[in-house]
Amino acid sequence: MSEWQRKSPLEWQTYVNKEVKVTAAEKHEYKGWVLTVDPVSANVVLVKFMENGKVCVSVILGHAVQKVEIVNEGDDEMKEQLAHLFMPEESKVYGHEELEKKKSSLKTWLETNHIPVTEQGESQRTLCVAGVLTIDPPYGPEDCSSSNEIILSRVQSLIQGHLATQ
Amino acid sequence: FQSPQHDRDVSVSVIRLPHGPDGTSRGFDPNSARYQALSPISISTMGCGNEADLEREQQARVALREQYLRSLIAMVGHTIHFTMYERVNVSAFFDASDIDILNFQVSDLQTPLGVHREALLRCSDIISYTFEL
Repeated sequence: MSEWQRKSPLEWQTYVNKEVKVTAAEKHEYKGWVLTVDPVSANVVLVKFMENGKVCVSVILGHAVQKVEIVNEGDDEMKEQLAHLFMPEESKVYGHEELEKKKSSLKTWLETNHIPVTEQGESQRTLCVAGVLTIDPPYGPEDCSSSNEIILSRVQSLIQGHLATQ
Repeated sequence: FQSPQHDRDVSVSVIRLPHGPDGTSRGFDPNSARYQALSPISISTMGCGNEADLEREQQARVALREQYLRSLIAMVGHTIHFTMYERVNVSAFFDASDIDILNFQVSDLQTPLGVHREALLRCSDIISYTFEL
């Protein structure tokens, strides 16, 4: 295991949002802004913002990293850009009544399909399915949360089917 | 984890962090048979420390891992260029990674010997990979 791989998560985190030069195996060199270091593999994710508006992402595998030098500190703007790079698109903002309608409609659909669903949380905004899966507003397939992959994928399909008929 | 494919009309992103080290599953559990057989001998940690420090370390681990998983999701459907050892360069569409980042499942792998429809790349053979967004 290389020295880089032996670092702790807190040490790796000190490189995030900094511009670095990475020297890797077989004399490869990479330069870019550190978006993250995977704590499982120690892979270094570097980002370069190009002139044509595109983003170039280079990831150096943890086992191949020989040296990482910090070249520049990032400012708040860079931090924001990096943080949002891989985030899913901001969802549409729905009004309170619209969300209530969506919730009721989905709840009815699930009940029609003999799936036990309750409302929970403060202001009852979250739907809870069979006690193992929750659905947050705006009640789309991406808003499901569960540790059970099979139920997760079944419910996502159901929601997708439901949305297709709306 | 894998991106959903096959019979779905629309791909839905699934964010799922690995199970914690509870001894019953995968992910960060350093005692799982698979992790021990295939991964580095120890998990990166400061080792002993007070509770507050260990909590901070775990929070760092979570934040770092989440961003890495999101970067993997972002790769799906894009052409990735892999720099391998011995000056071998290949490119392919990224499909999935296993949880320990030991293997990448790719399709339409372009190699000097031809195109492989489906292939598994060993991460230990890869020096780096690049893609554009």
